[in-house]
Amino acid sequence: MSEQTLPGTWQFDWRLPLPHSRRGKVLVAIRAIAVLALVAVAVATPGFFTPVSLFSLLNTTSFIGCVAIGMTFITLSGNIMSFALGVTLSTSGIVFMAVLPLGLPAALILALAFGAALTGIQGFVVGYFRANPIIVSMAALALITGCATLITQGQGVYPQGEAAAALKGRFFGIPMPVAAFLFTTVIAQVVLSFTRFGRQLYMVGSNWRAALAAGLEPARIVLGAYVAAGLCTALAGILMAARYSSGDLELGLGYDYSAISAVLVGGTAISGGEGSAIRSLVGAFIIGICQALLLLNGFSTQIQYLVIGVIVLLVIMLQTLADAE
Amino acid sequence: MRPLLANRSVRPYLLLVVIATVLWLLDGGRGQFLTTATAYSVLQQFATIGPIALGLGLSMIIREFDLSVGGMISLAGCIAVLTGARHPELGVALAVLVGLAWGLFQGAIMIWLRLGSIGVTLGGLLTLGGLAYVITGNVSISYPRMDVALAVNNPLLHVFSFRSLVALAAFLIAAFVMARTRVGRDVYATGSDRRAAMVAGVRTWAIIPAVFACSGMLAALGGSLLSYSLAAASGEALTNALVPATAAAIIGGVSLLGGRGTPIGMIGGVLVLCLLRAGLNAVGTAPAVQDVVTGGVLFLVAIADAIDLDPRLFAIRRYWAEMLFRGDQLARPQETSPAE
Repeated sequence: MSEQTLPGTWQFDWRLPLPHSRRGKVLVAIRAIAVLALVAVAVATPGFFTPVSLFSLLNTTSFIGCVAIGMTFITLSGNIMSFALGVTLSTSGIVFMAVLPLGLPAALILALAFGAALTGIQGFVVGYFRANPIIVSMAALALITGCATLITQGQGVYPQGEAAAALKGRFFGIPMPVAAFLFTTVIAQVVLSFTRFGRQLYMVGSNWRAALAAGLEPARIVLGAYVAAGLCTALAGILMAARYSSGDLELGLGYDYSAISAVLVGGTAISGGEGSAIRSLVGAFIIGICQALLLLNGFSTQIQYLVIGVIVLLVIMLQTLADAE
Repeated sequence: MRPLLANRSVRPYLLLVVIATVLWLLDGGRGQFLTTATAYSVLQQFATIGPIALGLGLSMIIREFDLSVGGMISLAGCIAVLTGARHPELGVALAVLVGLAWGLFQGAIMIWLRLGSIGVTLGGLLTLGGLAYVITGNVSISYPRMDVALAVNNPLLHVFSFRSLVALAAFLIAAFVMARTRVGRDVYATGSDRRAAMVAGVRTWAIIPAVFACSGMLAALGGSLLSYSLAAASGEALTNALVPATAAAIIGGVSLLGGRGTPIGMIGGVLVLCLLRAGLNAVGTAPAVQDVVTGGVLFLVAIADAIDLDPRLFAIRRYWAEMLFRGDQLARPQETSPAE
């Protein structure tokens, strides 16, 4: 325990990195039991470990996962969640379909820029004026939905030509959405762990005033977090629009709730400053696996909603154990 | 005029007069706006949004936020429609009881586990929404009692209906409790400075669950009466009331920072929003315009209520003042020379 080690020497610590507090250990135990239970049910469920089921699991999780990675940035920055990511996803898909005649690269850039601008405006208001993020995102939800309905007349936008077909294909044998999701997770995790922006984001999220006192500019960092969220969400929107060959407002319905569920189940703290992109990936897969297992065991869609709600509630309640460390 | 404008509860009513005048001018004497029909439809919307705005507003006064009302509206509607076919009162009572129980549960968790309200009520929103889907089996259920549907909407005194009178009564009771009783004073104390309130002997551990119970009950009351009046219920929220209810509470003078706002002010806030929506409807705009207006209003009040608004505006003013000052070559030496 308290062995004397010479300064500069390094010894490998063979003990498991368990938290020191008793509550922390309880939390680790609960998480381990939950994961084991999930694995046990998965093994016991016939038809889960088949290529078809795993393939569809990967595909559906990818879209939610992309949005969840975006939401992670917002949650980490201390701004809880955004209700407007679902509608950002839909409108980015619509913009992508509408500008597709300009060519695939131009359409990609324009749709990503559009998504980043939509959330960027909210990030500006939340960061610079410190407006309430929940209220701002609700306002954005109503504003974007209203404007988009007025502009599109409630109709879907369908692609001109076959330019979007490239996004439906495979990337070295991996379906495009899955590849994009994994790529986004890796980039997001690198940004969070190894860049100055990432470190500052954690600091602003855990304590705004301390960050300000340390000479950071929290407003800029929050803006950056929202722009990152917009980029991830727009990417999901583009891929969904390409997959379903249409862009309309129904695409992203409910995605904000799915995304925040994945973020919280993954173990990112709702109060900000603690969490990671990898955790959100894990959270998205846990939720996806739960849904698939319920479906394969003959439960209806409505039970899935309830189960996910209860899981989120339990995870939030368990968060106190983590905070007590 | 100054003290009148400074009163947060009076501002929504001034806004109400301004909006009514503008809509009347927009209507341009066609007589489609200033009718009892418009007043009735404003009050019907008031009945839908009002109770939810009141519950949310009360939770904002104690510096919390109850997101779960969104799920409670649809769940309460489903419960009322499923159980109230024979005795409508029983359906409403059961729905309100569920609202009360859920609110107490959420409040108790917050106190016991020292959790923030956003997280807990977000879980509540998802759970209640899921529960509504489960008990309806994911289909829209129709309510067999058309007589009840007509009765709750039947115009009384030309402009009121049973629903809007219930909503008004809820507001008036809340106004009395908040202004005249010890409980009301304790609620404000809890919201303005929780630690100081605890030190002063306010039982915040009881106030917080009580407010969430009220919020759950009000959402359940609003939701069940709405479902009766539409003669239908479904897991999908029949109306997305969370956004307008939040906007209404903030317009009505409730601050997200807690401790501010009154139920009387909130009535004004809800009326402003309902008048805007009903008025736009009466002068013949597309339904999506209502969304845009509601969102725009909420966006503006969010900025107006922001923590760092004043320092930022000050910085901008100072920046412009310096820019102008620098442009004026003569002014600077004249002002600095006496000091030297």
